[in-house]
Amino acid sequence: MSKGPLWLRAVHRVERTIGKPVESAVRSDRYFDTVSKVTRVRRKAIGAVEGVSRRGLHLLNLPAGTDVRRMREQLGRMERRLNQLSEDVRDMEDERRRAPVE
Amino acid sequence: MPPTLRPTDLVARVNRDVERSLLRARNGIRYVRGTSRPNVGATPKEVVWKRGKAELWRYEGGSRRYGPPVVIVHSLVSRSYILDLRPGNSLVEHWVNAGLDVFMLDWGVPDELDADNDLERYVDWYIPRALAAVRRETGEEEVTLAGYCLGGVMAALYAAGRDDAAVRNLVLMATPIDFQEMGAMVAALREGRMNPGDLIDETGNVPADVLYSGFYMQAPTVEIAQKPTLLENLWNDQFVEGFQAMAQWSRDHVPFPGAAFRELVEDLIRKNVLMTGSMRVGGRRIDLADARGDVLIAVAERDNVVPLAATTPATKLVGDPARREELRLPGGHVTFGTGRSALKVTMPKMAEWIIRHSDERPEPEER
Repeated sequence: MSKGPLWLRAVHRVERTIGKPVESAVRSDRYFDTVSKVTRVRRKAIGAVEGVSRRGLHLLNLPAGTDVRRMREQLGRMERRLNQLSEDVRDMEDERRRAPVE
Repeated sequence: MPPTLRPTDLVARVNRDVERSLLRARNGIRYVRGTSRPNVGATPKEVVWKRGKAELWRYEGGSRRYGPPVVIVHSLVSRSYILDLRPGNSLVEHWVNAGLDVFMLDWGVPDELDADNDLERYVDWYIPRALAAVRRETGEEEVTLAGYCLGGVMAALYAAGRDDAAVRNLVLMATPIDFQEMGAMVAALREGRMNPGDLIDETGNVPADVLYSGFYMQAPTVEIAQKPTLLENLWNDQFVEGFQAMAQWSRDHVPFPGAAFRELVEDLIRKNVLMTGSMRVGGRRIDLADARGDVLIAVAERDNVVPLAATTPATKLVGDPARREELRLPGGHVTFGTGRSALKVTMPKMAEWIIRHSDERPEPEER
């Protein structure tokens, strides 16, 4: 970016000076390896905490977040199946409407 | 001899700077308070078909002088208003004003119910049904199918893979074919350093913020550097509105349906199947060379999202070699929707190509 007043050009030059090494760092193998490791560790940690809280809640006969999530997944699957069936019905109706009347 | 500044020039300059400072203050307050929302996706339209989250819009205004209708298939990653960003700077508006009958197939915002949507669902289910709705609306058998980004992949697979595809023209805009050339995040997925399961959440989809982070991390400091540019141009209402519209769009991603994402990673990224010229969708092999109609492959020279090296193989693989053309455009990935080069080059050149490959309707339809 070469347009604009001197101060703006200076800002852009500074940004490029900092930005270039930052960009090459976030495009490196090491960065993506770190991101994947952090994601996996985070998931494991959340899983461990959820395991403890789930056992506690189940002792009190209460549903845990994972139960609710599983229930939502089951509901989602059922809703998808229902949607598919109603779409099939709509398709059949459309075809019947388009078919020539004898 | 150094130029001399006359007192009248000096007064004019002071006046201009004072005026701009006042405008900067006004626009700055509006910007910080967030009270001036950009008017995105403003071209008048009506919903003519809807299934699940997908909607088909038909744009209004002007007269429809050319056929067949143009159906834009949008990407699964971003919001479709990039192609209708704001009045006076919109691909859709430009095409409508040029006399084309424009439709947009928008995928909406996927949720848990869409997690099972794979590419077959889009190519063999949604697109044919949407095009049947276009036929019902217009009475025309054929369409000009225009796909943007991943929408281009789906449009090409549809045009190549179905005997009943009534595609007169196929327009591919910034459509990735060679996924080997697609930047760092895609490379991490290809090499297995990242897996689809790492990115898919409990809804079964890749969350929008993960996609945003992926794009943001390509150039993390650029967004910060844009702020001083905004400050310098804060007096200019047009600039501020354009800046806000682009900033809104670049943060406004939608979740990516999990099944399609797994397919994208396994087939398109890891096996790079499109570079073989064919792909299996729904249990059958689709050869890209079988794509029907005249093909326009529009590529942007400074595209950082889908680089030129990833888009240009389409010029060798999609459609009949005698019926395909390449259009190289100045600008980046969003040159199809906004920017000075979009207005000067992209929009008119693409409209001109489509009109050249269309018929003039005997009686233009008023909208």
